[in-house]
This record gives sequence, structure tokens and C-alpha cells, in this order.
Amino acid sequence: MSSADQPYIDPSEIALDESAVARFKNPSDAFWSGIRDAAGAPAMVLFAGMVGFGAMGKTNGFDVWFTTFTSFFMFALPGQVVLFEMAITGSSVLAIALAVTLTSTRFITMTVTLFPQFHQRDRNRSLYASVHLLAMTAWAISMREFHEIEVKHRLAYFLGLGLLCWLISIPGTVLGYYLAGMVPASVTLGLVFINPLFFLLTFTEVKPWINRIAMFLGCIFGPIFFVIDRDTSLLTAGLVSGTIAYFIDRKFLRKKSGYLG
Amino acid sequence: MSTVDTLTNALSGWGLWIALVGACLGTYLCRAIGVFLSQSINQDSEIFRWLAAVTYAMVAALTVRLIVMPLGLMATVPLWIRILICALSIGVMVSRPTKRLVPALLIGTLLMVGYGIIR
Repeated sequence: MSSADQPYIDPSEIALDESAVARFKNPSDAFWSGIRDAAGAPAMVLFAGMVGFGAMGKTNGFDVWFTTFTSFFMFALPGQVVLFEMAITGSSVLAIALAVTLTSTRFITMTVTLFPQFHQRDRNRSLYASVHLLAMTAWAISMREFHEIEVKHRLAYFLGLGLLCWLISIPGTVLGYYLAGMVPASVTLGLVFINPLFFLLTFTEVKPWINRIAMFLGCIFGPIFFVIDRDTSLLTAGLVSGTIAYFIDRKFLRKKSGYLG
Repeated sequence: MSTVDTLTNALSGWGLWIALVGACLGTYLCRAIGVFLSQSINQDSEIFRWLAAVTYAMVAALTVRLIVMPLGLMATVPLWIRILICALSIGVMVSRPTKRLVPALLIGTLLMVGYGIIR
């Protein structure tokens, strides 16, 4: 039976394991737990990525304010890199804005898949402010952790997680800017590499087969569409791969018993 | 637009800051559209399943792009070295997924730094 046939269930009524129920005492506990979860590998990775980005700003002759502003107001590393690459090669203002926006279209579906998991009470206009903290790191961790967190504490957890990730990116950028040229190229290489590596590793923790198939197809279609058209490639690769995965799941996987998801 | 282009090859001065404002607005617009659409979607619906698959595909495509088709410094590392290091890190990771994220990250990063030193 597909889930569309079922009546709407309030997420807060879904029974959780005992461990999940007892995980947080109150929102403040959840918030600080989010901060603690971010403070390990995720913050380290994001910090390293932003250090690499700051170094990129310095070596390409941007000023420190401009470089830091992108981290503060955009907080989307791939978009920031696209902005710099296009500014260096002298693209027009309109082309830059459009290309960066297209790179950021992933935020639409990231938000749409994460925010409905919050408690109904939390789904109000304040989310328009909270959403700025959403980036790939916080999204990947939240998607992994939310099913073990009580619905009413999810927003507080996400805010703790996202806030630390956002705040750590500012000193990371500034540090990278001033360190550029002082550290050997091999270290910069490691800093630049740590970000994609982290995402790659978190993908191994994704459980539902529909999403695993989607990611596998995304790995194949991503480069193909990139060759066809660089700016729209993420969007097209995502739509094509995701749709194929969805239909594979719908036609074949759901009929089998014992599939994960 | 063309006046900005002809001033200098690289975008500079006010044009640069206007591009930044445009990029910030565009990025936030995507986040805001997401919030707006998320109000009317519930997590048990078919569209939610489809969008989740699309999102995972997008972030996978983005990650592969950063590894296989990087810009700048990372492009100077041969593709097979990048893929080999990724494969080794994933190997460490899947050997015990709940415990090995940090070791896998460290090994991958140190291997890349090591390559940078010996090349």
C-alpha cells in the first residue's frame, strides 16, 4: 500500500523509540545538543572549507570584506566559488546572479524535505529567518538524526546545529584569507578536498534505497549534464535522477517486503 | 552590464558588490521559496518522497562535480588520485559506519596533503 492511501498522521503522534523520547528534556537541551553535534566533524569540515575559500579570495585579489561577506550572507560554498570564478573571468552582473541562483536551487528541495519534519507549531514565519542557517552540512545531519528526535525538539536541534555551522564559517574565511600564501600548497589542497570528501562519506549513511538509487544516478548524470550546460546541470541532473529513482521505488521496491525506507 | 565588462577584464568596484548582492538575494530567494512550499507539503506524501530523491540526487551531483570536475588547485591533482583517495576513505568509513567518520576524513585529507608534498 502506498503512503498516499493512508490518512494524514500528525508527525508528533508517530510513536518513537524510548531512547528518542528521552533524548532531550527541553528545547534548550535540544539546542545545545545540536551545537555539540555540530562541534565535531561537521564544524571542522566546514571550517576547513571556509579556510580554503578565504585563501581563494586572497589569492584572487578580492578584499577581505568582500570575501567574508559572501560567507556571512550567502553561506553556500559552491555558490560562493561560482561567484568568484565568474567575477575573475569578468562575467556580467546578471549572469553571475543567475548562475549563483541556479547553483542554489538545491536549497528549495532541501528546505521542502527538511522543514515539514518540524512540529506544526514551529512551522511559522520565523522559519524565513531560520532557513538562512540551512546548508548542506546541517541538512545532511538533520536528515540523518531527525527520525530519532522528538518532533517538538527538532527545530531547536536544527537551530543549534545550523547556528554553529554558520558562525564558524566567518572566522574560517578570515583565517584562510590571512593564511593564504603562508601555508604550503599541499595543506591548501587538503583543506579544499575535505569538504567534498565529508559529503561523500555522509552519503554512505543514507539508508532508504530510493535515496541511494537517486544518489547513484546523480553521480552519473551530474557530470554528463555538467558537460552539456554547466549552470543548470545540478537542477537537471537532480530532477532526472530523482524522478527515475522515484519510479524505480514505486514500481519495484515497494512491492518487496523488508525494503528499507 | 557591458560598461562593467569593458572597464576591466575582471569585475571590480561597484559591479562586484552589485554581483554579490544579486548572488545573496538569489541564494536567499531559493531558501525562501523552499520555506513557502514546505508549508503545504507533509512528510508522508508522494511528492515529499519524490523531492527527497531529487534533493539527494542534486547533492550527489554537486559532490561528484567537486571531486571529478574541480576548479583551481584541486584540478592539478590527477583524477585517478582523487578517486583513489575517495575510495580508500569510503573503505575506512563503511568498515564501521557509526564510528569511522572522523578517521575516514583524516585519512583522506592526510593522503591528499601527502600527495601534495611528494609530487
